[in-house]
Amino acid sequence: MKVRFNSMIKMLGVAAALAFAQGAAAQSAGQLTAKFGVNQITPKVESGDISAPALPGTKADVGRDMQPVLIFAYGLTDNISVEAALGTPYKHKLYGAGAIEGTGLLGTAEALPAIAFLQYRFFQPTATFRPFVGIGATYAYFMKERGSARMTAITNPGSGVPTTFSIDSKFTYTAQVGVAMNLSEKWFADVTVNKTRLRTDVNFSTGQTQAMKLDPVSVVLAVGYKF
Amino acid sequence: MRHTKLALAVLTAAVLTACGGGGTSPNGGDQTNKLTFSNQVSFGDSLSDVGTYRVGAVAAAGGGKFTINGDSTARNEDLNGKIWLDFMAAQLKLAAPCAAQTGLQGNAALGFSVPITNHPNCFNYAQGGSRVTNPIGPGNAATGSPIGEMTVPMATQIANHLAKVNGKFTGTELVTVLSGGNDVLMQLAAVTQAGTTAGAQAFAQLLATRLAAGATNPQAAAQAIGIAIATENARPGKTDQSVVTAAVTAAAQQPGNQAVAQQSVWGPIVAGAQTEGTAAGNAAAVTYASTNATRMVTELGTAGAQMAALVKNQLIANGAKYVIVANLPDVASTPAAKNRPAAIQTLVAAMVNAFNTQLKNNLDVNDARILYTDLYSVSNDQVKNPGPYGLSNTSAAACAPNALGTTSLICTANNTVAGDVSRYMFADEIHPTPFENDLIARYVLKDMAVKGWL
Repeated sequence: MKVRFNSMIKMLGVAAALAFAQGAAAQSAGQLTAKFGVNQITPKVESGDISAPALPGTKADVGRDMQPVLIFAYGLTDNISVEAALGTPYKHKLYGAGAIEGTGLLGTAEALPAIAFLQYRFFQPTATFRPFVGIGATYAYFMKERGSARMTAITNPGSGVPTTFSIDSKFTYTAQVGVAMNLSEKWFADVTVNKTRLRTDVNFSTGQTQAMKLDPVSVVLAVGYKF
Repeated sequence: MRHTKLALAVLTAAVLTACGGGGTSPNGGDQTNKLTFSNQVSFGDSLSDVGTYRVGAVAAAGGGKFTINGDSTARNEDLNGKIWLDFMAAQLKLAAPCAAQTGLQGNAALGFSVPITNHPNCFNYAQGGSRVTNPIGPGNAATGSPIGEMTVPMATQIANHLAKVNGKFTGTELVTVLSGGNDVLMQLAAVTQAGTTAGAQAFAQLLATRLAAGATNPQAAAQAIGIAIATENARPGKTDQSVVTAAVTAAAQQPGNQAVAQQSVWGPIVAGAQTEGTAAGNAAAVTYASTNATRMVTELGTAGAQMAALVKNQLIANGAKYVIVANLPDVASTPAAKNRPAAIQTLVAAMVNAFNTQLKNNLDVNDARILYTDLYSVSNDQVKNPGPYGLSNTSAAACAPNALGTTSLICTANNTVAGDVSRYMFADEIHPTPFENDLIARYVLKDMAVKGWL
């Protein structure tokens, strides 16, 4: 846990450093922008089988979640910027799948993905539409994993010991495409699609493990202000 | 600088959220079950029996369930002595199941005669050896067994429960039914009997003829040896060895036949007769099985239909709203069947299939009150594909032979075969270990979740 928290604090530190930087002119070199919006994260799940002892082909599915997000960007040049986000954790529901399809909600987990992007923005800072692409260093932090009576029932029934699970937090990367529209000299709106490569392992208190390919797609709709 | 302060405030909030209330570490979450049942009511056979025969010498031996008995979790957490209904009841936060009737009707000298007692506050009616409707099952005194199991059939078990509760279920009970295995085993016992009789006859005939071959008058000698074998066979307490000794002694007394008394002469003769006698017995068993196959398969189908009728007319019709109907596991994949010739295994598979087909066809498996759980398929798959289930052995029995033969009824962690047997599938040649029972419980609970009962 200590390692995880240190990493978290580093990520947040990047955001803080960006926030301290002084803004200049319109979404250009030396300028800070802040945007507020919503981010929907949809995992594209390919579940591995939970390890023995289990019904062969016992898999899991993970639901989507949407949360508000506050994103800061800082222009290194007129075309190159860095970006980091702050937000509340995403709460994902875990469902039985594969051989246990139909068992329903088995657990929940919260994810706090921290991403620092390096972006390239096309066209001039004054253009109405500015498409951009980015590549991000990502730390996917999982927490508050919660089981259920059903999860216990199909993994360790009647023992009186509720089954718990933890999801390994991972460093990974994210690709980004988006387009911003300048609404006025100070205000803009943008839409961003992020695709993260995310392979992780779920570790159960029963000693079982499950490999999960989550590869989430997140879609951010935001309105921002240029300082 | 205003925005700087805002950002810091948000950061602080985020960090606090991450560290704060409720804790970020994993926990079990809400362990409340969707439905609350009043109790667990079970009907069936040894697979559901939680201690009908845990009395007398069986209790003294530490036995009582048809699995590896007793809590040996200090040795291995899987050696917990539980069966699937124990796991289920605990998971559903119900009282541990207890036997509705206890006792034994067997040999008093061996400690197997204990008065039958009914327990009004216990609702597990399942008894080892019991069948769907026929009152005589394996272990019953009427089969010649010294143990003397009551083997009250499922039909009577249900009638006994209804009598206890004034004929009606409240609708809040979780009812489980699982039977049919002993209907298969009784058919197999008839096959075995046919083979044993024919094998013994062939052995005696071969032995007498061959031991007499050196005599002056082989025909008369063979007759005399035959009489000696028959006489010894009829003596209580005889053994295979004593029969052989009697035959050899009689043979050596025949005129001109003294040489047969030497072990180098009679030894090979006895071994040969045993081999050929066994082969003749096996052949006779297979012949009996094929001659009677149609009748046996039909009888199993009838038993399956009778079980379905009990579910509909005695359980559902009398108000039961949650009935788990487990079909018959794959008896053909158990050591009990696999230790027999291929033709017998095929017959067992056909009997199990007939039972399950009739059981399912005569039930409305989509009825909201009936959960039909397919133990056949999962047990069949476990034997073929043990790895994912965590099973270490699906072909051998975990229990070593004991005072009662090979039954797990008095098997404990102290009399298993050597090595780690905690994740064996079978305790004896037909009954599951506690670990396999755990897997069965998980499977049934999984089905309950899918049905919306969990």
